[in-house]
Amino acid sequence: MAPPTSSSHRPRKKRKAPTAPGSNNSLIVDFGDGKQSPAFPLVSFLWAARAGVSQWLILPLTLMAVGLFRWAVSLWGYSGFNVPPMHGDFEAQRHWMEITTHLPVAKWYLYDLQYWGLDYPPLTAYHSWLCGKIGSAFDPAWFALDESRGIEGPDLKVYMRATVLISEYLVYVPAVVNFLRRYTRMHGVHAWSASIALVAILLQPATILIDHGHFQYNTVMLGLMVASLDAILAGRMLWACIFFVGALGFKQMALYYAPVMFAYLLGVCVFPRIRILRLLNIALITLAAFALLFAPLLYGATTTEARELFATSAEPPLLQSLPIFLDKNSMAYALLFQMTQTIHRVFPFARGLFEDKVANAWCAIHTFYKLNRFEASLLQRASLGATLASIIVPCAIIFRHPRASLLLPALSCVSWGFFLFSFQVHEKSVLLPLLPMTLTLAGDGGLSKQNRAWIGWANILGSWTMYPLLKREELRLPYFVMTLLWAYLMGLPPTSFEIFRSRASPEETPLEPHLFSKLLHLAFYLAMIGWHILEAFVLPPAGKPDLWVVLNALIGAAGFGLAYLWCMWNLVVQCREIDLRAAEEGSRKKKQ
Amino acid sequence: MARFIGLAQASDNTSSDPPNNNGNHAKSDLLSNSSGRRRDVNEVLQLDTVENGMAHADVREVHAEKLAVDTLALSALALFRAQLLNGSPHSAPTSPTELGATAMAELYPSLAQCAIVAAAFKVLLFPAYKSTDFEVHRNWLAITHSLPVKEWYYEKTSEWTLDYPPFFAAFEWLMSQAAALVDPAMLVVKNLGYDSWVTVYFQRTTVILTELVLVYALSRFIKSAPLANKQAAHVASLSILLSPGLLIIDHIHFQYNGFMYGILILSLVLARKQLLASGFLFAALLCFKHIYLYLSLAYFVYLLRAYCLDPKNVLRPRFLNIIKLGICVVGVFAIAFGPFADQILQLKDRLFPFSRGLCHAYWAPNFWAMYSFADRALIPLAPRLGLSVNREALSSVTRGLVGDTSFAILPEVTKEQTFLLTFVFQLVPLVKLWLQPDWNTFIGAITLCGYASFLFGWHVHEKAVLLIIIPFSLIALKDRRHFSAFRPLAVAGHVSLFPLLFTPAEFPLKTVYTIFWLILFLFIFDRIAPVPERPRVFLFDRFSSIYLTLSIPVVLYSSLLHHLIFGSQRLQFLPLMFMSSYSALGVVGSWVGFMVVYFTT
Repeated sequence: MAPPTSSSHRPRKKRKAPTAPGSNNSLIVDFGDGKQSPAFPLVSFLWAARAGVSQWLILPLTLMAVGLFRWAVSLWGYSGFNVPPMHGDFEAQRHWMEITTHLPVAKWYLYDLQYWGLDYPPLTAYHSWLCGKIGSAFDPAWFALDESRGIEGPDLKVYMRATVLISEYLVYVPAVVNFLRRYTRMHGVHAWSASIALVAILLQPATILIDHGHFQYNTVMLGLMVASLDAILAGRMLWACIFFVGALGFKQMALYYAPVMFAYLLGVCVFPRIRILRLLNIALITLAAFALLFAPLLYGATTTEARELFATSAEPPLLQSLPIFLDKNSMAYALLFQMTQTIHRVFPFARGLFEDKVANAWCAIHTFYKLNRFEASLLQRASLGATLASIIVPCAIIFRHPRASLLLPALSCVSWGFFLFSFQVHEKSVLLPLLPMTLTLAGDGGLSKQNRAWIGWANILGSWTMYPLLKREELRLPYFVMTLLWAYLMGLPPTSFEIFRSRASPEETPLEPHLFSKLLHLAFYLAMIGWHILEAFVLPPAGKPDLWVVLNALIGAAGFGLAYLWCMWNLVVQCREIDLRAAEEGSRKKKQ
Repeated sequence: MARFIGLAQASDNTSSDPPNNNGNHAKSDLLSNSSGRRRDVNEVLQLDTVENGMAHADVREVHAEKLAVDTLALSALALFRAQLLNGSPHSAPTSPTELGATAMAELYPSLAQCAIVAAAFKVLLFPAYKSTDFEVHRNWLAITHSLPVKEWYYEKTSEWTLDYPPFFAAFEWLMSQAAALVDPAMLVVKNLGYDSWVTVYFQRTTVILTELVLVYALSRFIKSAPLANKQAAHVASLSILLSPGLLIIDHIHFQYNGFMYGILILSLVLARKQLLASGFLFAALLCFKHIYLYLSLAYFVYLLRAYCLDPKNVLRPRFLNIIKLGICVVGVFAIAFGPFADQILQLKDRLFPFSRGLCHAYWAPNFWAMYSFADRALIPLAPRLGLSVNREALSSVTRGLVGDTSFAILPEVTKEQTFLLTFVFQLVPLVKLWLQPDWNTFIGAITLCGYASFLFGWHVHEKAVLLIIIPFSLIALKDRRHFSAFRPLAVAGHVSLFPLLFTPAEFPLKTVYTIFWLILFLFIFDRIAPVPERPRVFLFDRFSSIYLTLSIPVVLYSSLLHHLIFGSQRLQFLPLMFMSSYSALGVVGSWVGFMVVYFTT
């Protein structure tokens, strides 16, 4: 072999070649006449790249293309556009930029709760502060204290939309790209199918619609989570802790992932042998990360003005329940006050079991059997119990087998459990289980018919359950365009029924979806289409104005329950495979 | 077996000749590749690469094995030819048409797939900025729907009076029938500036739907291309379909160019064999939008020489053909203008408003932009050189935003002069077309007519640059010389459209989309364009790469740095002037380059 020339673009490392064409990801279909054709439309868009086109070309083009779709969605309306007096999430985020840039740190978590009080963890507050500072350089009126409430304007909209896009491209996109690079290498997946999976993941309709349409910064939290997974794959446990604390510190919703992360990190310290030092390291670095996260807040609480403020404010309930009594003017009281006030704001235990119509178990049960007859505390305990029951198996598996390859199914399983059974669930929380599920597209056999059918179905169902929300915000057209586009690119119904047709050669049959799951999926797709027709053309009966929304939530809950079971089954199967392989290797070693 | 066929095809692609006489051709082409162009060899290997999972073909290695591959390709060719003759019983396709089908199957993404994804993106752009052209077209919908035909060209409630030829008015009338079902309020002439959501949805949708004509024309273009050029034709079609020019002008700014360029391309495709239909379509196109008059001389010469006169003897006219063509063209014009026969002068005033200035508001990147720039640059030097300065013009030139520009130092330009220049520079390529009336020369002549009218015309719009880019795209992949003339045009032409959209929300759209398109297609073109038979002009290549590099600081300065340095109020004209002079340099450069290519091919 001649040495590589310097002139041409070449990746630094040669990828491990697949053993046979399309062995692990059935991307090329051969109809038996020698003609090769792409298995689904997304493959044809990257068809020209199948023979080693440089990543230096494919990656920028991919990122530009998905960025264009994001920006185009962001031209549409946002949550609370033209809806005074409270507006919506857009106004909430803008308001946080307003208060963090103008108020001393001590007041951040105390300021007017009724008007979108800051109720996200500190990292969101710092992020808001940064965005507010930069935005004020463009136009201070956007974030003038109190004066700017409910402000709307094309330039402000562009600025806010740009902060979402830039935050995403600084956190989520690099994290996903790096994660996929490591993950596909681990699974021996060809670079070409990794590129295809990347496009599929970055075009996930639900994420784009919520962040760039509805307006939120979920991708920052999800990005930190993916960065944490990437660190785990790289074997850098300490970085994994830091990134995960970052995710938690950006949005408390990351708690859905916490049990698995905890079980995994504990597992690596216990199995195959107990490693106390590693456990100590992990514990220390996690504590340090939390300390770092709260440091600016606590530092702000030490000033005299802050102490005076805290001494005169009402005690946060959490502080009241603590069995300590401190001098109200002391430094310790101020620090404790700030901590407890923040936690109190971030976790609103006082709210109900569920807010809107959301596709989870409680809402579904409530439809048939009114739950408000029970006391709130009982419901809370029931919800806690059900959630624990739903996550105990995957957590136990990941604790006993702390393997990186099991992380994604375990994460999706546990977050589905949270979504279905925990309380105070938003329809937007469906992004959390969808992320690890969709990431498995990049794995071994990830783009096979079976995987594509299930993951694609879950994603489409996920964005379908958000339709009532998106409809309120005039995001109907982007919803249809983005969801159908994704379905089209992945070769899924309702744009194509190819996925239900079995035409593969015998050795590929295990990667085909089972007949039963085909029927199930078909039923769900038909239900979704039928629901859209009902919703568009038939008025709900008098006295039940929310009937269609409830129906949506019911179908959604059933589907998500199925998705939970599928992830669980996947986890168990993969775990057993690993066990078998380990047993084989063990016996081979014994023979030697 | 399939692999051998693939090899044969891959080596076929290098030359435009049919497979039965290019044995030596393929060889010489492969040999001339050694200068660093590795496309053919790469492609030959590509098939192997997929099958063996070999991720990257090493270039130098490939060159070392060039001769081996060469012989392999030749033997594959021989085998292929043998198959063609014998009609071999193998499962591989045996007739050229079937082979065409295989070649088509290799081309992904298909035109339809790209059209679907592009349409999804265009639908998402519904709420984007729309220019006054949106209101113009709404007004025309209203006029044609609610007034009798006789009053269409007299109606002037809105300042945006009907100033397109009658077929376009009829097209608006047709759409207004559908609009009446959607929102009748948009069809009221007095509803000036009416843009309800439904209206926006409706009008934007009509743009997307009528663009299907372009998709159809492009698919015809791919089908009509000879087998060896299929891949190039496919890529060129995709580049036109996804053109940032059409996206910016049609789907954001708002116009119906996709539809009309579809008709033009269809007419150009038909000009390969069905000349009568081609002439007929072009006449109809002229009745849709008269800007295509700029291309009519090339059509005239081509149809006269190739259709009306005997190909072998210029002095022997083919009377039947002349009568057929005459009936077609006169018939089309009669249908279009017949209903307005008694008001033809009114139509003339509406269609050709000559009261406008030399340069359009944003300074289309043509010769006059450079002329204005030179004039502007001479002002500080005038006292030293002893030139007289026209004081009145000073304020006007600096604005750059007003309709008529007058010059401070350089002599004024009259309409007659611009016409003369345009005419002369159109005539030059037509001489060659007269002598050599084949399809490739015809497309070249059309392109050069577009160049001449864009560069020297009176009151040229920056949008008219599509008049050059789109016909040129059809032949840009003929060989690397064509491609290197095309490259600066692709950059300059699209960058010069940026000032059309000035709102902040559209800034990322226009820049990112254009950069995406430029990277993608310039890269693919570069891989596909075959090596020319004649050596290239070294200097021109250097110019082209320097020009490309320069685009980064120019665009950066005019879109960002200028505002940071001078604020948004001072020296407003400066970024516009830089952009248009820079783009003008590119367009003029590519014009000169293409002239050379055209006359030496």
